Amino acid sequence: KEKQSLSRMQQAAGGRGRAIPWLSPSRSRLTADSYCVHRIIEDPEWCLVTVPPLAELCLQHIVQNFTNNPVLDHLLPEDQRKVLTRLPTHLPLTVTANLISDEDYWKRCCTERWQVCDISNHGGSWKRMFFERHLENILKCFVPNTTDPNQVLELIPLCRDYVRKLEVDQFLPPVKEDQKEETDDLSGSESDFGFGKVCIHHYDLGALVPALPLLEELHLTYGVKDCGMNFDWNLFKFTHQDCCNLAAAVKMCHNLKVFKLTQSNVDDDKTRLLVRSLLDHPSLVELDLSHNLIGDKGAQAVSKLINHSKLEILHLCNNQICDEGARALAQALAKNCTLTSLNLRLNYVEDKGGEAMGCALLTNTTLKSLHLGGNRLAEQTAVLFSQVLTQNSTLTCINFSCNPIGPDGGKQLLEGLRCNQTLTEFDLRLAEVDKESEYLISQMLWANRDAACLQPLLQQPAEPL
Amino acid sequence: MSRGLRSELAGRRWWDPDLDPDPHPTDPGPEERIAARRRRIAARLDAERRQALGENEEPKEKAEDVEKERISHRQMEESQQVCIPPSSQKLAKLLFEGMRMVTDIQVAADLRETQRRAEQAKLKLQRVERLENEARSSASKFEEITSKWALAKEMTVPQELWQLLNQQQQQCTQLLEAKNKLIGELQQELKNKDEQYVQTIKRQSDDINLLLERMEEQIRMMLKTYRHEVRQIEKAFELERRELLDSNRKKWEEAIQALNTKELEYLHARVRKVEEFEKQLNQLRVQDEEEYNSMKIHLENDVQNLERQLQHMKAVYLVDQQKLEYNLQVLKKQNEENTIIGAEQKRKLNWLRSLLNNLRTKLVEQEKQFREENESLAADCERIMRQCKEVKRRMRHSAASDAEKFMKVWLMNEEEAKGLMRKALDADRIIHTQQLGLPWEEPHYWFLNNVGPLRNYKAKRMATKLATEVLTGGTHSLSALVTPVALESSCEGQEEKEKEKEEVGSRDTVTPLLNISKKTAKRILELVSDESGFLIERKLLGPLRALGKRECTLLRLDSIFSALEIDSEDDLYQLVDFFLKYKAKEGALSQVGVPGTAVGRARQSRACVGHQGKAEMGQGAL
Repeated sequence: KEKQSLSRMQQAAGGRGRAIPWLSPSRSRLTADSYCVHRIIEDPEWCLVTVPPLAELCLQHIVQNFTNNPVLDHLLPEDQRKVLTRLPTHLPLTVTANLISDEDYWKRCCTERWQVCDISNHGGSWKRMFFERHLENILKCFVPNTTDPNQVLELIPLCRDYVRKLEVDQFLPPVKEDQKEETDDLSGSESDFGFGKVCIHHYDLGALVPALPLLEELHLTYGVKDCGMNFDWNLFKFTHQDCCNLAAAVKMCHNLKVFKLTQSNVDDDKTRLLVRSLLDHPSLVELDLSHNLIGDKGAQAVSKLINHSKLEILHLCNNQICDEGARALAQALAKNCTLTSLNLRLNYVEDKGGEAMGCALLTNTTLKSLHLGGNRLAEQTAVLFSQVLTQNSTLTCINFSCNPIGPDGGKQLLEGLRCNQTLTEFDLRLAEVDKESEYLISQMLWANRDAACLQPLLQQPAEPL
Repeated sequence: MSRGLRSELAGRRWWDPDLDPDPHPTDPGPEERIAARRRRIAARLDAERRQALGENEEPKEKAEDVEKERISHRQMEESQQVCIPPSSQKLAKLLFEGMRMVTDIQVAADLRETQRRAEQAKLKLQRVERLENEARSSASKFEEITSKWALAKEMTVPQELWQLLNQQQQQCTQLLEAKNKLIGELQQELKNKDEQYVQTIKRQSDDINLLLERMEEQIRMMLKTYRHEVRQIEKAFELERRELLDSNRKKWEEAIQALNTKELEYLHARVRKVEEFEKQLNQLRVQDEEEYNSMKIHLENDVQNLERQLQHMKAVYLVDQQKLEYNLQVLKKQNEENTIIGAEQKRKLNWLRSLLNNLRTKLVEQEKQFREENESLAADCERIMRQCKEVKRRMRHSAASDAEKFMKVWLMNEEEAKGLMRKALDADRIIHTQQLGLPWEEPHYWFLNNVGPLRNYKAKRMATKLATEVLTGGTHSLSALVTPVALESSCEGQEEKEKEKEEVGSRDTVTPLLNISKKTAKRILELVSDESGFLIERKLLGPLRALGKRECTLLRLDSIFSALEIDSEDDLYQLVDFFLKYKAKEGALSQVGVPGTAVGRARQSRACVGHQGKAEMGQGAL
């Protein structure tokens, strides 16, 4: 009863406050007090401590209405942190993308969305990782003529400042029936799709890639993952139109440093098309065209590219390059002074191409790593490379694995290696080299490696290809 | 995992039937990446630990000299270098071996792939050859069949035709069978290939499993070895640290001991000093106390004096205040009055102004009137002037005639007088010579020689002037006074008689004065001025004081003379003479007051009597 009377008094005071103008600023406080008093009547165990402070309530409100009214920059740093820890991760990106730069928030977003998050692949930034993977997911699920292209275009202004690397390992072809539903379902599937006649071009990156000014790495695979028994050749068709679009897009992307186009059925013509657009690219450093169908002509085109760009790393493994293509590459290599790594694993280079390579390496002074595994190289190449090993002082890593070099070739290489001080890795596994020379070679390599290690102390041995 | 891999492999079947155990030879698999990452982490941890160890040691070394610290650091680094190369080499070897183990699988797969490709190429060639053979044989058969169709048209006998048709049919079926057989064989091959594919898939999945196992094993081993290495490094560091700590502690203790001894010395010295200072302090305190006491007394006196002064000042202040208040009130009142007066004055001013205006107008009128009058008067004046001139001329004329007449009369009279004189003188001579028998001497009178009227018109000097001359002037003034009279007397000897008639009194009175020395005259005058102050008007007395003695006397005399109505020189002479004679006839003083005692001097003493009477009157008044 006393409390009631108290509340009445306070109300009266509030009433007076309303009546007298100069009391009006304290009115809200008074009404709040009266509210508290009412609460006391209802709950005898209630105490003032449980009432959240107004600041807390405000922050709560901000969090609740963040979508409509994103207030963050005006808050104090402490409050900002509180708000950021409470914000839900499903907020629309249009609100959060350019407003929130807090790594913890994006970490929460990433970990909630994906199980495995390797931040080192994304430059150590959670935000960058989120946007890159988000964009990748959208591109992976993009079905031409079905998906709204605005879905991607709307995302561009949000992520253009964060995306530096784009790794898309799936491009879906356009469909008549809904194909996205069956992914892993092997049993209940319709095997006959009628893709053959309609145009089967994939998503055109020309709209997206030039709009990302910071893009440095682009990894693409024109194929469908997890198709299971729904296999159809058309799912893996990299059409001429696609290639044209891609070439144009890459040409527009001036900051691109790493370009990988793997497992995409790139043949000679498409290679030439791509190379033409990449000629004299201002920043391209690494090119990966492995697991494609590139033949000699494509290799010739690529060799032309070597001397018309800043290319340092070139991967052409698992293609169909024969001796002619290898010869073209070797010629380019003889003149070039930027390329440091060349990978020609699982091609058909054979002895003719190998000899050409060896001749080129006699003059080249930049190449450090060469992979010629699985190229049917024989003793002739070994003879020439023993000469290369004596003369060249830049090569640190050679891989001749899975070549029928034979014991004599191994001895030749051993002889050549005796005069070499720089080579640290020389892979001769399954090369029909006798064990003795292999052992001696490994000993010499260790000596070289130690010498290389001692100069810059604690330097880790270079990783093999 | 395996399912995903299999499906991925299945997806790749169409272009690469045989499997590649490592689909991204340059891009290491996830396990490898993890392993690499773990290695990196281990290395980083190692480095951090090393750093931490180094940092832990540093604070303890701070107590030591910097030089020693540096030396110990260098030693430590050397020991690190000693212990690191073998272990790093070992680790590198381990790493290399592990990597080789892992990549072995890839290499094996590569070899298989190359072999398969070679085999494939061989088989492909065989297949193509067989297909070509088949195509060639079937084509020849087909040509045979087609060539027989022409024969069939020519056939007329039905049995033959039927036979032919049968043959044709048989041949066709043979052809078709051969084709079907080939197709069957190819399909069989395809099936085999499919089986092979499945087998390779299985093998690859085995390979992958093996790869995974090896990788895990490798990771485990690496971790173990790294941990071992780290532990050993830590141990080494710990050992070194302990040694360092021990040596440092020893040095530290030595230093502390030295410090203690030194501190003791310092303490003793300090105690001594403290005692000295205490003595000094006491002395100083006593001195200061004395000084303080004297100072205090002095200051108290000062304070008392000042308080007294203050009281005095306060009293003065009160009085002043009251005075000033009173003054203020008075001034206020005056101010009020002044305001009232001011108002009145203003009123008066206005009134006067109006008056002034009136007067001005009147003045103007008057001026006009006066001008007119002036003009008329000027005319009058001119006329009068003319008349005056006329009168003057007439007067001059009459004066001249008068003078001529006077001269004639004078000369006649003089002749007469001289004759009379000569008669008298003759009589006298006769009396003297004849009667008395006395020698007679003819007296020489100046007037006897005189011809014409007397020129003695010299104006009598004013009495005051004479007095001033007497008082101020030296002997010359007196001589000046005397000489002219002497001269006169000498030159006017002849006209003695005439003079006696008219100016007997004056001649008589003057002569005694002339004989008076200047000094006496001066004294007399001074006495008069001093003694007869009552005759002076009261108003004059004030200003007279301010003047010098002589001027004062002069002015007093002036006023006395004016009071006694002494105007001329003669009066003064009479006065002086009177005083002199008065002194001489002391006995007859009482008779002086009675008038008519000496009739001959009646005229002489007139002034004196007047004077006396006046003096008596003054006395009576006093």
